[in-house]
Amino acid sequence: MINRRIKDNLATFLIWLSAGIATSILVAVVTFIFSNGWSLISVDFLRNNYEPTVRFVNIETSDRFQRPDGLDNRLIFSENLGVALEQTEAGYVVTYLDNNSPLRTAIDLEESLFPVKEGHFIEEVNGVTINHQTPETEVLEVLNAEATALIKIRELGGGVFPMMVSTLLLVFVTLIVSAPLGILAAIYMVEYAKPGRFVKLVRFATEILSGIPSVVYGLFGMLMFVQLLKLGMSILSGALTMSILLLPIMMRTTEEALKTVPMSYREASYGLGANKIQTIYKVVLPSAMPGIMVGIILSTGRIVGESAALIFTVGTFASLPVNLATGNLSILETGATLTLRAFIEVKEFGNIEMASAIGIVILVIVFSLNMISRLIVKKLSH
Amino acid sequence: MTVNRKRVWMEKIFHAIFFMAASFAVVSVGAIIVLIFSRGLRPFFPGNIYGTYNFFDFVTGLNWRPAFGEFGVGYMIINSLLATLGAILLGVPISLLTAVFIAEVAPKPLAKLMQPAIELLAAIPSVLYGVFGFAIIAPAVKSISPHPTGDSLLAVILVLTIMVLPTIVSVVVTSIRAVPQNYKEGSLALGASKIQTIFKVILPAAKSGILTGVVLGVGRAIGETMAVILVAGNPEGGIPTTIFDRVRLLTTNIVLEQGYAAELQAQMLFSTAVVLFFFIMIINIILSKIQKKAGDM
Repeated sequence: MINRRIKDNLATFLIWLSAGIATSILVAVVTFIFSNGWSLISVDFLRNNYEPTVRFVNIETSDRFQRPDGLDNRLIFSENLGVALEQTEAGYVVTYLDNNSPLRTAIDLEESLFPVKEGHFIEEVNGVTINHQTPETEVLEVLNAEATALIKIRELGGGVFPMMVSTLLLVFVTLIVSAPLGILAAIYMVEYAKPGRFVKLVRFATEILSGIPSVVYGLFGMLMFVQLLKLGMSILSGALTMSILLLPIMMRTTEEALKTVPMSYREASYGLGANKIQTIYKVVLPSAMPGIMVGIILSTGRIVGESAALIFTVGTFASLPVNLATGNLSILETGATLTLRAFIEVKEFGNIEMASAIGIVILVIVFSLNMISRLIVKKLSH
Repeated sequence: MTVNRKRVWMEKIFHAIFFMAASFAVVSVGAIIVLIFSRGLRPFFPGNIYGTYNFFDFVTGLNWRPAFGEFGVGYMIINSLLATLGAILLGVPISLLTAVFIAEVAPKPLAKLMQPAIELLAAIPSVLYGVFGFAIIAPAVKSISPHPTGDSLLAVILVLTIMVLPTIVSVVVTSIRAVPQNYKEGSLALGASKIQTIFKVILPAAKSGILTGVVLGVGRAIGETMAVILVAGNPEGGIPTTIFDRVRLLTTNIVLEQGYAAELQAQMLFSTAVVLFFFIMIINIILSKIQKKAGDM
């Protein structure tokens, strides 16, 4: 009996110890990311481009603008351009723009649109340099002097806006391809297929797919989409690669969801004279929808967190996936996702702070996705 | 009549669409295997434009030095095995006991807090574990290592261990919770202590779930690339003699050199992928054999 008590106590101790170790390590990882990245997190971090830019823009103005009520008294307001500036140590920064301000539709010297935003610095107007020492009256004078102005704008950079856009685009395109594919395949497996060789073959194939490590998907995607189909390193190449990677998950979650729809629903629908397609479309899919949604949300998390399958399919450039000729966003252009960029920041520059700051954004996205799927599951079980 | 015929046609068309979607998985596997293998096996057959390489030398070679035309992945196979084994040996006991804690030992409010938290952590992208490893684990290893860097087998094992923890814990907790309550009551009624019940009754009953967790953990550890690159050191050759030696794994080899590799070296990265593919298939077959055997007992 004493022996047993010693054993029990030892086991209990080990259990508490393990739980303590596991929890503290995992808490340490999250704390580490937040404490290292927090100092970089700001509105500018989310809004700015990654690379700092300097641009000369041409402005033509015809309106006069009203200083808005309640604007901070420390800010100077140009009635000519409809812009409020704040004097900071780094220079004069745009803090408010009127909705109709001509700065919003500024044209740069290459004739493309370069909208001035809050957070941009104004460094020169019609050849007059403006820096942090320039008196406010002088700044207002040059801003209000003429109806046309050549303005030098500096954008600080250091932000993750391009990566957020790329990530969003990638998620969007991937889901557009993979969700219908996975759902249609799952419908076949649950509603149509009879047990036999084909079903076994598909099961075997999905099992192999889910066993292949993502780096091999990356190689495959590079060969198939980037090179053979000549899509280049682009959001589309990455999305197609991810769609294959996600196929097993999409199929499995949708199959599970379809299986939970009671047989009696289908029988009732047939009994009312509906055919199979109508039954699937009007009865089975709607009642399986929450389960399918959970699958889609979890897949979104996978896309946001993926890196190895994307590094050679979407590339690692920290710029917006923009077609240089048209200036529009394009899924045929390259652009790193948040997670890829976090990897590059550490691998290439050892920049732990930046990687952690990006990590915070990723964690917020992934955690909220999980919360949402949890809520759906909870609603389901009630 | 026409309406009916239209209906029949619609049914047929949809059936074909569903069928094609289901076939897509098979087609994908085919495409992946054909493309990766056709490029990866080419160096081992005569007539390759970039020169042939002996397959045996490739698989058993202990050095990867593209500059000298030397491509051996033997040491990477061993390193990948060691890293996975280490992570499982370290990670499984901790996860198992943590799962026991959450499911059986912890006070209810604490368990209610811990379970979703652990599941949340399973969703953290591996790159972030890599950042943690790079900034915290590697320097910590460095401080006790005889070598000048912290990048080592030990650092890789620790990062992988942390990564597999949440995966294994959440699966095992679910399977422990699924053990019928009367098993537990029966054991307690026979005079067994709570701890005895856990280890003699509950865990054996949850065996298949535990194995599933381990298999998932192995899968995550073996295929991991990006987190590992940051702490592995990735040397050009050699089998580690201590846990403080640097390692290069099959997965990391591919990503490290893909960016600039050309000609034979580029093909050899696909060859590495072929080896990785077989490596994982063999381990999966072994694991599913074990799982089946355990299920039969």
